[in-house]
Amino acid sequence: MPYRSADRRRVLAAAVLGRPLDSLDEREPDPESDPEEGEPLHSITGEILDVSPHLIVVETPEGEEERLVIAPWATAWRGENVSPADLPIGAHVIVRALQGGRVVDRIWADITRITGVIQSVGTGRRDLTVELYCGPHRGRRTIVIPYGASGRLRVRHPQFESGYLFDAIGIREDGAAHARLPATSQPPYRWTSVPKPPPGYGAQSRISGTSTWSDTFDWGERGVAYPMLERADSDCQDAGVSCTALPYLALGSALSVRNVCAGRTTVLPIVACGCLAGRFCDRCLECGTSPRGRIVELSPVSFVELGGELTKGCFNARVGLG
Amino acid sequence: MLTMIAAAQLPVLSALLAAGALAKVWTARGEAEPGVLSRLGPAVLVADRWRAPAMLGCAVGEAALVVGLVTTGHPVFRWGTAAFFAVSTYVLWELRRRRPDVGCGCFGEVSAVPVGLRSLGRTMVLTAMALGLVWTPRVPGWALLSGMTWTQAFAALGGLLVLAVLSPEIEEAAARLRYRAPCEQRPLDPAHALGRLRASATWRSHRKLLSSVEPVDSWRELCWRFFVYEGLSHAGEPVEVVFAVYLSGRHPAVRVAMVGFDGQPVEERPLSESMPVSAGR
Repeated sequence: MPYRSADRRRVLAAAVLGRPLDSLDEREPDPESDPEEGEPLHSITGEILDVSPHLIVVETPEGEEERLVIAPWATAWRGENVSPADLPIGAHVIVRALQGGRVVDRIWADITRITGVIQSVGTGRRDLTVELYCGPHRGRRTIVIPYGASGRLRVRHPQFESGYLFDAIGIREDGAAHARLPATSQPPYRWTSVPKPPPGYGAQSRISGTSTWSDTFDWGERGVAYPMLERADSDCQDAGVSCTALPYLALGSALSVRNVCAGRTTVLPIVACGCLAGRFCDRCLECGTSPRGRIVELSPVSFVELGGELTKGCFNARVGLG
Repeated sequence: MLTMIAAAQLPVLSALLAAGALAKVWTARGEAEPGVLSRLGPAVLVADRWRAPAMLGCAVGEAALVVGLVTTGHPVFRWGTAAFFAVSTYVLWELRRRRPDVGCGCFGEVSAVPVGLRSLGRTMVLTAMALGLVWTPRVPGWALLSGMTWTQAFAALGGLLVLAVLSPEIEEAAARLRYRAPCEQRPLDPAHALGRLRASATWRSHRKLLSSVEPVDSWRELCWRFFVYEGLSHAGEPVEVVFAVYLSGRHPAVRVAMVGFDGQPVEERPLSESMPVSAGR
């Protein structure tokens, strides 16, 4: 069944169920949202054309040139914390900006999230090459674990065997993804043996859990990947598995996502199947322990605009139907 | 008296072995949820690829013992049953020590509760029952069942009660029935919802407006499944006809709306007034 468009589905569902129809951009503020949630955050993605200690010029995917002022306190990350002026020309960046999107607060350069199922592990003496299965849409991916990062990664991923989940944050370098930081502690079960959610006591309008980010989205796209989609609708044979009792939704459904740690809320459409996110029952420790495992995966842009720190990998979230 | 009580446990042992074999086959063939074998013993004690064969092998062994106990009075099957439960006791003990997080898998997926003293006690009682059977008259199970006296029936019932008290599966099954996942969280087949739509009065009243046979889009949100068809409004304008089928209940609600390509709902023509008809002959 072809998936037509998120907006069209919202219009049709509102018409048949008699629901009020708001465009995602014209929503009333969430009643839960904190009126003092702070200055709105903007994220800008693109390629560095020029950078100096005070100014960065970025070419966006639409081909526009953005000239941004770098705040004195701004920091950058490219495998490690660096000064913004040290970022190489041509690096792909995600910028968190303040003051209407003109002042740079934080930059992540060439960052990538490596989430998948271990298929095979190479036998290199120093750097390890690992092949991962990253879901039906992303396919297989070969990554490199540099010798310098392997200790840190192996401590949090004790099972370096086929069938176990892997989740790390790294950088894209020379056409390959290099893992640098573990994004979570590896679940102790194989990816086909996800524990069942605890018995439910009825449907809840809001669910609290962990929100992470993923780079399976289009560059600069805003939206979420959600695990509980019907396989027939989403064309994703690995969907519909979650260790959290989540309700079934569809591509195009609007979700209200709240970053509990930062007190920011936004409404985002489901644009992808989070077939691997549902298999992680890990907890986020960003501001206290999240009550459940992963409930949504955000696109990097949406994650940053909700106040998330890409290198930390998650925040505690509360999600409801938007 | 003791001999009579021991002999009366033959139907109890046969019933439990048969139930265990059927449940194991159901679980190993993947009729239950995928990945369940990694949480059930003793399959977890073997490598991943041997888990289903191990469970099926156990089921075949149980089935062979049931057939032997019911059709013949040969001591091989009685000793075999005693040995089977004795080995089971040891395996469960080992499972409890090595993998305290997994269930015994005695009755397939239902036995997912971690192995405890009750499960161990049950296999010990079953071993004792099977050993007691070895010294009883060698009559086939079917002969015992056909000629069962009231006293033997009460003895068998007593044995069943003891086993029921020692079975955590009963509470597990009751909890599953009591805390059934709400409709929003249950996987439901789209073809089933389409069947319900096509059986509804709403479908019959709007079928003539549809210009496509198959839905052009379908999706599920919470407990509703939506089907979109291309069609023509009463005024002859091209529209999309969207049906929403509620996925729970015997006679689920079915709603319909017509939406123009500009996104505006198209007003439906009110139903024509019913024609008075005579109820007489």
